[in-house]
Order: sequence, then structure tokens, then C-alpha cells
Amino acid sequence: MKKLIPITIIILIIFGLAYVMSGKIEPQENVRALGKFYLENSYFGDYSAKSPEVVTAILWDYRGVDTLFETSVFFLAIIGSLTLFRLNKKQEKEAKERIEKVEELTLVIKTVTKVIVAMILAVSASIALHGHLTPGGGFQGGSALAVAPLLIIAAYSKYALEKQGLDKTRALILRSIGLIGIALIALLPLTKGGFIMQNQPIFPWLGGSLIFYNFFEYLAVGAGFTAVFLLLAIPEKVFKKILGVGE
Amino acid sequence: MNELLFYIGAIMIIIGGICDLFGALGLLKFPNFYIRLHAATVGTIGGAVVPLFGVGFLALGSDFLGGMKYAIAGASFVTGIIVLLAASAGAHALAYAAHKSKLVKWEPKCDHLEGDEK
Repeated sequence: MKKLIPITIIILIIFGLAYVMSGKIEPQENVRALGKFYLENSYFGDYSAKSPEVVTAILWDYRGVDTLFETSVFFLAIIGSLTLFRLNKKQEKEAKERIEKVEELTLVIKTVTKVIVAMILAVSASIALHGHLTPGGGFQGGSALAVAPLLIIAAYSKYALEKQGLDKTRALILRSIGLIGIALIALLPLTKGGFIMQNQPIFPWLGGSLIFYNFFEYLAVGAGFTAVFLLLAIPEKVFKKILGVGE
Repeated sequence: MNELLFYIGAIMIIIGGICDLFGALGLLKFPNFYIRLHAATVGTIGGAVVPLFGVGFLALGSDFLGGMKYAIAGASFVTGIIVLLAASAGAHALAYAAHKSKLVKWEPKCDHLEGDEK
């Protein structure tokens, strides 16, 4: 009963506001100028971005610089979380050693994980590399890619992933390669009289720059997420011991 | 042939809706964790995998999609197979973890193997 009163008040306020407001807002009847530009130029026009996928065209061509800053927000967030969990070299080595035997899950889960990880790699690559033709793109593909290490961490352990060579440093290197790739693809057309952060037809194979943007974004996002997951998978006990706090 | 595929797909999507409904009902009505897990898996296998395969068949049977129909069908089949594998392994992992950590009380309604262990 005590909870019911605030909920009722909130619902009443929301519905009241909606009722009052709805009469005052004029319905949008015409396409706005910006929307008209996209409609006329992307799919229903002359394909000025040279991509049948309108979302990718808008993201990497019409509003390329916007995407640049969007991506930088995401990577600032990743850099922030990496700074929070900053360890020096010795501490990092310590975090990689398993203190006690980690119990792994059953054979069923491990086998299925192996199959699914392979499938996820294929699916995410197809999402990213077909991003200029079908719905999808670098960020979506990268997010799908990041599920693979997450599954391995859950089914095996963080140490299994590190033993195979994918530790935090390598993930960060991969991410940096992705980011440098995006910067190069954006800047390279300038040397040949093109424009910055657009789909430029100067790359000899595979059409324009969209596929390269998507591929490098895929690499950067997937590796960035993997680095954060690896950090979060460090057991709290180990972390407290390294930092010398608690207990 | 195309019509047949279309109707098979549509029927599978309807079956998926029914399975989802039963899964939701089971989640609310079943007595304990392990049996509710069964209802949840009915919801994912019957309610996600079957309709995904259905969408694949439906797309294969729809000529108006042109060449895109193979892309849609392939994507739905692959997604269906991934969910088929992941849902069963996930349910297994949940049951295993719940039994191992003893977070859930083991209160079987009927246990034919009682006393057979050891």
C-alpha cells in the first residue's frame, strides 16, 4: 500500500502531462530539410555516398566527423576504466598467476563454448565486413566479437584466455591498431585531393573506404571490450592482495 | 514449392508464439527452480529457435524479396543454430551451478531414483 501511492502519483503525473502536452505539439507533417537531404541523396537518390546501406552511409560519410567524436567518447570510457584498474608490470604478472585451482565448468559447456566461439567470430566478421551492404557495421560487429572472449572467460577462465596469448596488453595493441587504422583511412584521401572522414573512392580494391572504416572499428571495439572484460575478470581477492587493502 | 515453404515457415512462427506463451506461464506457475528452468528452455528453444527457422523458411518461400531472401534465410538459420546450442548449454550451466552452490533447495515433486545413488 505504501508503495502504491507514489506509483499512482507518478502514473497520474505522466498521463496528465502527456494529455496536456499532446494537444499543444503540432504533428510533423513535412519532412525536415535534413531528412530530405538524406532521403534524396542516399537510397532514393543518386547514392551520393555510394553505399546502399543508409545507416552506414550516414555514419561514415555524411556525418563522419560526428562518428569520430562518438567513437572517441566510447574509447575515453574504456581508457577511463583501464586507468581505474591500472597496475604496474610486476602487479600485472601477479594478476596473471592463478592463486588456487580454478574450477571449470562441465564438458558439455566447454564443448558448446568452443563451437559457439567459432560461430560468433564468423558472424561478427560478417556483420562488420558486410556493413557497407547490409544492416550492420563496425561497432555492432565489434560488440558481437567481444562476446567470444566473454564466453571463454565464463566457461573456462580468464587464465585460459591469457594462456592462449590474448592478454590485456595484446588486446590494447589490437585496439590501438584499429584506432590508427581509422585515422589513416580518414586522412589518406587528403593526400590525393579527397575529403576527410568520408567514403572516398581512392582505395583500389573493395570499393571505397567504408569497408576499411568498418573493419578497423570492428577490431578496435572488439579488442577494447576484451581488455575491459579481462580486467573485470581478475578476482577481487587477488586485486585486494595486490593493492594491499582490506582483509 | 515456394508456397509450401512459406506456409511451413508461418506455422513454425505460430508454434513459436505458443511455446513462448507456455514458457511464460510455466515460469510463473511451476513450483521450484529446476522445473522453472525447463519452462525457460521451452521459451528459448520453442519460442526463439523454432520461429527463427520458420523465418528462414518463410524468407526462402518469398520470391518478392529477390536475392535478399538467401541472405535473410542464412542469417536466421545461423542465428537459430547458435541459440539452439547456447540455450541448452546455458540451461545446463545454470542447473549445474545452482546444484553445486546449493543456493536452491532441492525439493523434488517426484524422484524415481531416490535411494539409487551410491
